[in-house]
Amino acid sequence: MAGREAIKRAVQQVRPILSVDREEARKRALNLYKAWYRQIPYIVMDYDIPMSVEQCRAKLREEFVKQRHVTDIRVIDMLVIKGQMELKESVEIWKQKGHIMRYWKESQDPKPTDFLSKFIQGV
Amino acid sequence: MSALIRNLGVRIASAGLASKHVLPSVSALSHRLSSTAAADAKKPEKPTVRKPDAVARTHLSDFGRYVAECLPKYVQKVQLTAGDELEVLIAPEGVVPVLQFLKDHHQAQFTNLVDIAGMDVPCRENRFEVIYNLLSLRFNARIRVKTYTDELTPLDSACEVHKAANWYEREIWDMYGVFFANHPDLRRILTDYGFEGHPQRRDFPLSGYVELRYDDEKKRVVCEPLELAQEFRKFDLAAPWEQFPNFRNANPPAEVVQPATPPKK
Amino acid sequence: MAKILKASTGLTGLAVSTNPHHTLCALYGKILRAVAKMPQEASYRKYTEQLVKQRADAVAKNKDIVALEKAVGCGQVEELIVQAENELILARKMLGWKPWEKLVQPAPARQWDWPPAQISEPKV
Repeated sequence: MAGREAIKRAVQQVRPILSVDREEARKRALNLYKAWYRQIPYIVMDYDIPMSVEQCRAKLREEFVKQRHVTDIRVIDMLVIKGQMELKESVEIWKQKGHIMRYWKESQDPKPTDFLSKFIQGV
Repeated sequence: MSALIRNLGVRIASAGLASKHVLPSVSALSHRLSSTAAADAKKPEKPTVRKPDAVARTHLSDFGRYVAECLPKYVQKVQLTAGDELEVLIAPEGVVPVLQFLKDHHQAQFTNLVDIAGMDVPCRENRFEVIYNLLSLRFNARIRVKTYTDELTPLDSACEVHKAANWYEREIWDMYGVFFANHPDLRRILTDYGFEGHPQRRDFPLSGYVELRYDDEKKRVVCEPLELAQEFRKFDLAAPWEQFPNFRNANPPAEVVQPATPPKK
Repeated sequence: MAKILKASTGLTGLAVSTNPHHTLCALYGKILRAVAKMPQEASYRKYTEQLVKQRADAVAKNKDIVALEKAVGCGQVEELIVQAENELILARKMLGWKPWEKLVQPAPARQWDWPPAQISEPKV
């Protein structure tokens, strides 16, 4: 019963957001990556952030790799749309320096993993 | 001018006089009536609850039937809520046709888009409701169009019908994350740049996920994940008493307007 | 040359029409032709035809503009023209949408139930 339900859910006809198949979604994601990649030097220059272009590109790659497990076409589309909006906000300088630096999370200490440091931090 | 004011003053004074003269006799009459016929003594009406007008209700339900008959492809249900508010519940495919019909049809002319609202009910299959409030200046009438969607299904943008829909849809995108297809300029409108999540969703915590503070060393605002102590995460919202006992049997939440039955031959 | 009846409609952006009878007749004719392409039993077609014919009758009967406005009772002639233009656009779009067909998608069960607190989800 549960299996049948799962199959029904898998083959459910849904309305696409933008892309109709995986290939198109992949192309959109790659285009977004390229657009960010090309804009990074200008972003670094405009916002005057204490990061090099290479560091920014590494960060960009990290952000994309974070979502590599996503397989649903519509989820990919939604992420691409949000990425596109973020790119526009960055390029048009609607954001400020702090918003850009948020990607690095530099004011946050990494979570302790071993017992002793956990104990010391009281987690 | 002063003569006019004086004149008015005199008229008000005389009106007051007249009412003073009339009032005692009326109250005396009613008093006598109530003493003789105590059975039909008037119940004190509660002035706070507005009674819907029966004529207006029939007009509204007739119009609801009319809309349902003209657009059977899209209208799922027509109902009256709160006594006299007409609601048309439509399938998500029909947003543009229904709004265009209501705007341009001779009998409707709902040319004014008052508001678009969103609603989130997480236990439903399609958790978001999008609600269009329309006003017809010509017929002095209001109507509400409701449709539904989920996190990933796009709705058609109403911008091509109503220009006013632009910002309202941006608000709903920002607050609920409902994507509107064919919107000319869909981007955030209320939240800050770099804000993640959609704050009006029911599963978004009241405190948010991050907090901002000014960092003295870095000379700028930094963003940190919020750490709430565990005991504050549980909110008991159920109260042991009933909040609105006076409204227990007020207007029913919704009355379905049955579709017109075709005449049998 | 029709006698100029008024200097202004009193509504922003709405100019006084010079020959409203001609414009209205043309628009009503167009609406009727657009609507005639719909299936006979479509309610939208029935109601629109009925209403537009009524108005076209009124236009034909009343040569005087004031009398026409009074007979129709839906604003000034210029507003009638705007309404007719809107209806024409709508009728043409309706041909593409075909709203007289059967319901595209019935509402999911309990979608419109209110209040939602009463909704009890089946345990999976």
